Amino acid sequence: MQVVGLTTPQEVFVASRERKFRINEILVIDDPNQGPLIGEVVEANSYNRFIPLSINHDFVDSRVIESLERLGYSISDDEINIARVKLRNEASFPVATGAKAHLPEFSEVRELLVRSTTEDGLALGEIKHTEETAETMDEDLKGLFYVYSRGEKKKTKNVPFLLDLKSFQQYPHIGIFGGSGSGKSYGLRVIMEELMLKGIPAIMLDPHYEMDFSTREEGLEDAPDFRESFKKFQIGEDVGVEFLALGKRDLLDLLSAVKPLTEAMSSAVEILHRRGDSFLSFSSRLELLAEALELGRIRIEKALQQDLEPEEREKYKKMKELLEEYPNIPLVSVQGIAWRLRRLQASGLFNHNIKPIKEALLQGKLAVIQGPIWLLQVFSTYLLANLYRCRRDYKDGELRGEAAGEYFPPFVIATDEAHNFAPKGYDAPSKGIITEIAQEGRKYGVFLVLATQRPTLLDETVTAQLNTKIIFRTVRGHDIATISEETDIGPEEAKRLPYLPSGDAFVSSPLFGRTVAIRVRFPYTRSPHTLNPFDEIKDYRRKAQDRLLDLLEKHLPIYDTNLLKVVQALDAEAPDLKMEVRTLKDSLEDLVRSGKVQKEETPFGTVYYR
Amino acid sequence: MERLNETLKTEFSIAAAALKNRLKDRPGKERLRDLIEKNGVGRFHRSRKMTNDELAPFSEKGGIAGVDGSTNNTAGTFPYVITVQQALAMSTAAKEEIYRTAVLCPLFMGESMDEAEYIERVKSSLATLEAMAALEAAEKLKPAVLLIDGSLVRLKIEAKSLWEELKKSAIDRGILLVGVVEGITTKIISSALRESLPETMKEASDWELLFGALDEGEGLEIVPTGLKEGFRTVFMRTSADPKPIGIDLLEEQCEYAELVESLIFTLTPRDSRGIPLWLDLVDKKVKLSDALLEGLLKTYLGEDYSEFLTPKRAKRSL
Repeated sequence: MQVVGLTTPQEVFVASRERKFRINEILVIDDPNQGPLIGEVVEANSYNRFIPLSINHDFVDSRVIESLERLGYSISDDEINIARVKLRNEASFPVATGAKAHLPEFSEVRELLVRSTTEDGLALGEIKHTEETAETMDEDLKGLFYVYSRGEKKKTKNVPFLLDLKSFQQYPHIGIFGGSGSGKSYGLRVIMEELMLKGIPAIMLDPHYEMDFSTREEGLEDAPDFRESFKKFQIGEDVGVEFLALGKRDLLDLLSAVKPLTEAMSSAVEILHRRGDSFLSFSSRLELLAEALELGRIRIEKALQQDLEPEEREKYKKMKELLEEYPNIPLVSVQGIAWRLRRLQASGLFNHNIKPIKEALLQGKLAVIQGPIWLLQVFSTYLLANLYRCRRDYKDGELRGEAAGEYFPPFVIATDEAHNFAPKGYDAPSKGIITEIAQEGRKYGVFLVLATQRPTLLDETVTAQLNTKIIFRTVRGHDIATISEETDIGPEEAKRLPYLPSGDAFVSSPLFGRTVAIRVRFPYTRSPHTLNPFDEIKDYRRKAQDRLLDLLEKHLPIYDTNLLKVVQALDAEAPDLKMEVRTLKDSLEDLVRSGKVQKEETPFGTVYYR
Repeated sequence: MERLNETLKTEFSIAAAALKNRLKDRPGKERLRDLIEKNGVGRFHRSRKMTNDELAPFSEKGGIAGVDGSTNNTAGTFPYVITVQQALAMSTAAKEEIYRTAVLCPLFMGESMDEAEYIERVKSSLATLEAMAALEAAEKLKPAVLLIDGSLVRLKIEAKSLWEELKKSAIDRGILLVGVVEGITTKIISSALRESLPETMKEASDWELLFGALDEGEGLEIVPTGLKEGFRTVFMRTSADPKPIGIDLLEEQCEYAELVESLIFTLTPRDSRGIPLWLDLVDKKVKLSDALLEGLLKTYLGEDYSEFLTPKRAKRSL
């Protein structure tokens, strides 16, 4: 391996006869004047001066090459490999042509590749094309995890990519970008697994219902068990919003998340909501006011003059008071608010609180919050603001030297589809709190991990605060442009973005000072959605058929004249099947087609038997 | 556009017409083959591409080696020239490459000589280098077949003593010594068929008569006459190109003629001009290019001196 051709202080060409180069490989160039220079392969070419063979303008067919190979000569021996190598740091003057180059020992490039230890770093994956260097690596860094390559799970042979936890203090937020199928969800899963391994409290907003860590991936030796390390919460079923604790602002956010509020509605909410309102007191006030507005003052007064049950009288009295208290609120606004409130209530949101989540965080666990995206938006707004306040109050109190308040740990907030939570160009309830954390979270030890397929749609203030970016395959030109703008990814890497294999990514981090090409490690656990929908259909059909066959077993053989009796029997045994004569006949025909039941025409009609 | 001189045009058209007439006089394919067979000039034989299994014995015995030479002069007028020569022997089976080089300059060769003499010296020197390379290849690389670029007769004439040694070594070691001739200059057929050929063809070169007369893979093994004593000659069409090549073998090894024909046919790309690829590879490696020569000059002579050698002709700018 040696430097050939024209060189510059930034870039050289290295040629080798024996060894093929790979993009992102690290080479050390031994410049006789400047000492060792470290560079990275940015372009790899192979060249054979005999292929495509046109020697003296003749063209060579493969048959002849094969014959030569038989005679002991392999034409590929005449191959020359050339790499364009970009120097890590600019040299003081152009590199000497003819200088030797070698693959680095681990100790030569340690600083460049590994910036953490296995205790303090999140092992996200392997640094691509570092096998040779990895051979001289410390034993404790070797084979830390599995990677998936060419359809097989194998122990990594490369240098691990360790994202240092302590560096979060300095570079707190992580962005994960990549189109669908690019491995983004795997990346997110791996980060969450690593956080769990390190016992870092974290919140994961999961609109896809895919962040379950209880099913272990098969064939991975000593995969850790995460079942006790995370807790799954369904909004409205396990967790919710404590109405009593809601401020006016929170309530407005919640209501507008269902459907945006008109100005009249917003001001109506501000007037109607009272401090210390419970859900019941607030909603009954709303309903009563709506009824009152519908009836009108005159009818209410008339009613009050009539003879009424005491309860009725009380109600009309209240209605009258309300009308007097809120004379200027239009009926439609009240109805609109009431409808939104009913929708929130129906989701179960107000029946629970966020105490279980806080407990999970205090135990250093991962709290996975699941719900439909609109509800997640509403809930996360409330949740994040609340948790962030807890942490801030504790930390500020500590700073002021006040008697330490209730302890609340630092934590990580992660979400997929982040552009829904902090969109660019329009307002979303959760945008405010996410922007605030993006800008100030570092002070309090609250960190963001935001994944999205559309970085272009993510709020710019937030994007700018994402210090570490993990970029998977991205095809849209728009998004590539955004990524190029927001990261130190070079034009070479940007060009490769649309072609990255699933699971491969570039990491752009100020800690490394360069873009690192990694392959994300294979997650220890499996998403519940990995069953192919078409397999699912097949699976379902097969199961349904097997079940029916089991049930029919004792009725066989069945004459088609006798179907009704079978239907009645089935109805008694398995009412959920809802069999009718027609559907039973169809099902029997299905079974015949799949060869599980035989069919024969007899003088007594058709008979089905095993 | 510049007008062409009228006389030049006329003269050229006359020459072209004569050449066309000569081509018309060439005997047709069937007739020529008939004449050759009837007069016992040679035997036609059709080869086919060898299979991998058939090639295996060759690779077991040491593969195929090729020998080629290259010569080049610095630009300049005699005797202000430097001639650089090298010969290379390279085997398909062994990694080692055998180079032999020589640098000649008429100014410093001790005796005074004129240009024609110098050219002769250059030719024989190259042949000597090639013979040396071939000899060493035979001893060190021990190939099954030694392919030499150019006719064997040339080596015998230009490098007599080494040739004898090479021949002996080849026969002793059972190495098939084969010369591959790209440009045939012999007139064996026309001289044998003198009586039966039209006037214009009586002096025709072998390639001219055989052009298009052989099928792909077909060879004509010439029955030995006194003309090329000690050698066996085969003319063969080894590719789609209708112009045949010549293959020289030692008389002592003539029993292998058909095997050698098949081997050469196998090693020659169909769409090429008919030379075995291996020799082309050797040629490519051994070639002393003008650029290389210029580089040598500039490095060892310096810009000023190389300017001194450059003839005025090379500086014409119009």
